[in-house]
Amino acid sequence: MNTKVKEIMNTKLETIQPDATVYDAIEKLVDRRMRSLIVLPKDDNDVYGVITVRDIVFKVISKNLDPHKIKIEEIASKPVISIDKETEIEHLIKLMEKFNIARVFVHEGKQIVGVVSLFDVLSATLIARARRD
Amino acid sequence: MFEKLLSGGKLEKKVIESIKTHLKILCSATECFENSIITEQKEGTFCVSDLEREADSVRREIITTIHQGAFLPFIRPNICKFIEIVDEAFDILEDAAFEFRYVKDEIYKIIKNECIRVSKINSEMCKLLSIAFDAFIGKGDLKEKSLAIRIYEKQVDDLKFDISEKLRTVEIKDFWDGKTINDFVGYLTKISDLIEDASDYLYIIELSLR
Repeated sequence: MNTKVKEIMNTKLETIQPDATVYDAIEKLVDRRMRSLIVLPKDDNDVYGVITVRDIVFKVISKNLDPHKIKIEEIASKPVISIDKETEIEHLIKLMEKFNIARVFVHEGKQIVGVVSLFDVLSATLIARARRD
Repeated sequence: MFEKLLSGGKLEKKVIESIKTHLKILCSATECFENSIITEQKEGTFCVSDLEREADSVRREIITTIHQGAFLPFIRPNICKFIEIVDEAFDILEDAAFEFRYVKDEIYKIIKNECIRVSKINSEMCKLLSIAFDAFIGKGDLKEKSLAIRIYEKQVDDLKFDISEKLRTVEIKDFWDGKTINDFVGYLTKISDLIEDASDYLYIIELSLR
């Protein structure tokens, strides 16, 4: 398909501090109509993480835990899986399949600049098919 | 499907070539507007008006040829309607270009990235509409093109929501600044609606011919 990740990535990103509560994350996710938040590193030695709606439902809600009492760092996935923005979609799909994940973050140097979801991949594929005369 | 109705008629072929030209001019107009938005060169938007005038004469030529007897009578209004929708997209694009010239730079900077993305999508949608028309008169899969156009339109809808959210945080002191930016965003995001309508209409015509 020769499409690069940077062409289809979503640059709308939201972050959250690791010591915030899960309830803070729920509020952000609902307000911003998003499904994941980037968890900022605690210090210079720490790395970026991610918290998704899935994490909240399966690790907190389904276990009847209080979202006000659970800290983000307790349930966040670290390190965040990310790829370079120049990567082609084929590699992205392989990565998603390998790790069984629905979204992959995109980095430029050390900075996270975007996110690509399975739906973005599907849309890009359908558009590329339609473009073929 | 559509080629069955052509039956080698000269007038029909003339209309089809003119529609292709009409769509190509729309692609050029959206691309030209996209460049002006990216470079923030407001003078550059005058190319949209020039191309709109050019397209207007092509539109008149198409309608005249149809009324001279191109195509079977039952299909003529449908083709005219398709042309009118594309023409409306030109008008809205021209309105967006006009408003852009009066948008305050400091307000525009806040939503520049989103506006660039919308105008890029508008350009891509025009190219797809052109491909969809080729599929309509040939043997391509029009349904696939129509779906891709719908995907793009959804992306513009999401961007419109993001733009509104950003603009709500801006304090606007002058009535005209507010009206101009509101109209500009409204027109910019309406172009995709019209391209989607045009693509849907092509699909409806194809269905009606089955």
